Amino acid sequence: MRILLMGHPNVGKSAVFNRLTGARVTESNYPGTTVDYTKGRVRIEGDSFEIIDVPGAFSLEPKDKAEEVAVKMLEENKEAVAICVIDASKMERGLYLALQVIEKGYPVVIALNMWDVAQDKNIEIDVEELEDILTVPVVPVTAISGEGIRELALRIKEASLVKIEKIIEKAGN
Amino acid sequence: MLDLEQRWELIDKIAKRTIKFGKYRHTLKDAIAEITVKPLTGIPIAIAVLYGFWAFFVAFAGFFTDGFLVKLFDMHWLPWLQEVFPAGKESWLYYIFVGDPLADNCFEAFGMLTSGLFVVIGVVLPAIVAFYLVLIVLEDSGYLPRLAVLIDTVLHKIGLHGYAIVPSILSLGCNVPACTACRILETKKQRFIMRTILAIFIPCGAQLGIMLKVIPETVGWVILYLLAGYFILGFILSRIVPGESPELLLDIPSYQRPTFSNVGRKLWVRTSSFFTTAIPFVLLGVIIINVLHLTGVIDWLATGLGPLLSGWFGVPKETVGALIVAFLRKDLAVAQLSAIEMTKYQMVTSVVLVSIYFPCIATFVMLLKEGGVKGFLGSLAALVATVFLYGGLLHLIWILLGVA
Amino acid sequence: MRKKLSEMMYGEEGIVKSIKESLKGKIAGMGIRVSKKVKMQTKQPIKGPVVIIIDKAETSLGLGLADKILVEVRDEDSVNGSS
Ligand SMILES: Nc1nc2c(ncn2[C@@H]2O[C@H](COP(=O)(O)OP(=O)(O)OP(=O)(O)O)[C@@H](O)[C@H]2O)c(=O)[nH]1
Ligand SMILES: [Mg+2]
Repeated sequence: MRILLMGHPNVGKSAVFNRLTGARVTESNYPGTTVDYTKGRVRIEGDSFEIIDVPGAFSLEPKDKAEEVAVKMLEENKEAVAICVIDASKMERGLYLALQVIEKGYPVVIALNMWDVAQDKNIEIDVEELEDILTVPVVPVTAISGEGIRELALRIKEASLVKIEKIIEKAGN
Repeated sequence: MLDLEQRWELIDKIAKRTIKFGKYRHTLKDAIAEITVKPLTGIPIAIAVLYGFWAFFVAFAGFFTDGFLVKLFDMHWLPWLQEVFPAGKESWLYYIFVGDPLADNCFEAFGMLTSGLFVVIGVVLPAIVAFYLVLIVLEDSGYLPRLAVLIDTVLHKIGLHGYAIVPSILSLGCNVPACTACRILETKKQRFIMRTILAIFIPCGAQLGIMLKVIPETVGWVILYLLAGYFILGFILSRIVPGESPELLLDIPSYQRPTFSNVGRKLWVRTSSFFTTAIPFVLLGVIIINVLHLTGVIDWLATGLGPLLSGWFGVPKETVGALIVAFLRKDLAVAQLSAIEMTKYQMVTSVVLVSIYFPCIATFVMLLKEGGVKGFLGSLAALVATVFLYGGLLHLIWILLGVA
Repeated sequence: MRKKLSEMMYGEEGIVKSIKESLKGKIAGMGIRVSKKVKMQTKQPIKGPVVIIIDKAETSLGLGLADKILVEVRDEDSVNGSS
């Protein structure tokens, strides 16, 4: 199994990658820090998986060279599981990309990163409800402190394919 | 697949059921965000920040180099080495490793273990540690995107947009990662312009550090001349390179207090990569130069290129050695200039030449890797033209001022 | 009153009404979409970019891009009258 970290720029993909693998990829507070992919390995319950830190992309129609790399990684790894990293304080836009990845037919786990920031801003997110609607694992994470990283790793195996129609149906009622 | 409207509609439904926005407290971060991006307050702040950056860099590097490391190297290391080095003072081994037996400072000795180590550890190391420290704080705070907004209009004049400030500033640390960072620009044209002007005109941290030490009084002028070149070449390229220069579209993150652990980790990663990549090259550079000296190649080149160097650029023919090392390491090249007899003005020209003439080999490889053969040849053509015209222009300026 | 995003004044607030098709997908990832509340944070001089706030997050757009977005702002003159 190969795992891809997908998400908008600056949502903390590299931070999640570093916590999961022990690597030292650059993390900076501006979009576009990562412009090329980095491979690493993560151990989950005794098994070792390949995980790839990918440049951030605002959409799946790349606007610059870094986003091209991200979209290419996704296209080239049809069998991969995607961890969609979302900035919890900007969840709506994050879901936009996550839904696109789901629609493209990737098994997805959602990491609601920057959980600490969302709490500081008094944003309350009902994780259980969200999980119920999306029917994919949703894990609150604060990558800089490492909170939630373990759970995220443990739940990667639960990622499964979802039909978008099912999500629409669940969201509807 | 859903279309855009359907997808947003779905998200609206999901959001309604899962997100509650509590009361939003206006914080200090919001206030800082506002004043740093509004032009009236933001521009003075930007100038203050950049000046502060420079001032810290100078003070920190100066404190360690002049206050401590120079003494260590000149008063203890050099005499000790001259004393105990096993090979005789006339031997070529002594020449390569220790250098001039009469030298009383590590700059002029020019042996691998004297000048080589002194340049790397005594001068450049403190400089880049200082530089990276501030740079990392800038990166982690979230200030760079705001700087990008403020400077957008100016950079449009050279076919780029505000976000080109990111590769430009990274480049002051090291040109190599900056070349890759050009990928955040949208079009081929923008990336080409950016790579070319940064490789030619932006001195890296190592070079800045050594310049501070070798030409403390004129370093400001050198930087100004390079900065002007950055804009002039950018302007010309933006007119002749085909392609689009799209507008700025930039997500601005909120400010964050840089964390100790991330700053520390990045500083460590970059400093240790300096140790593994720069030090071997500097030491190798000293050996190569000394071997070329011993075998007479430098003299031969100096005689051959002398007319060009002194006629066109107005610098002594001995600078040819520095220009050769500049391939490997610019910091070493500047250090070498310090040992050559010349006027203040010739020194400025030489340092400018070392800067604009050929990026170091590592950057060179990046230009090829990122630009492809075509982009690479384009950058090369711009470079050759720049060296002759812009380098020659400085000589002309000195002539007109009557100081050449 | 409807105007282009690029014509909004400092501090003015409005609701996004329409976005040119070519731009929609590009800025979706930045959370800019029809029916969102938008506030003009600053406009840079000499035709510089604008900085807007949507969902408490700042985004900067070149003036030409801001031209492609229409917003509904409250009409100053008709605050008391009809909308
Ligand atoms: N407060 C907080 N900050 C975080 C968290 N995760 C990451 N950050 C910070 O957010 C910034 C962006 O993190 P990165 O890991 O570089 O983001 P990225 O998604 O890799 O960004 P790109 O490489 O540009 O796509 C950095 O300054 C991190 O320190 C978190 O959970 N909480
Ligand atoms: Mg990253």
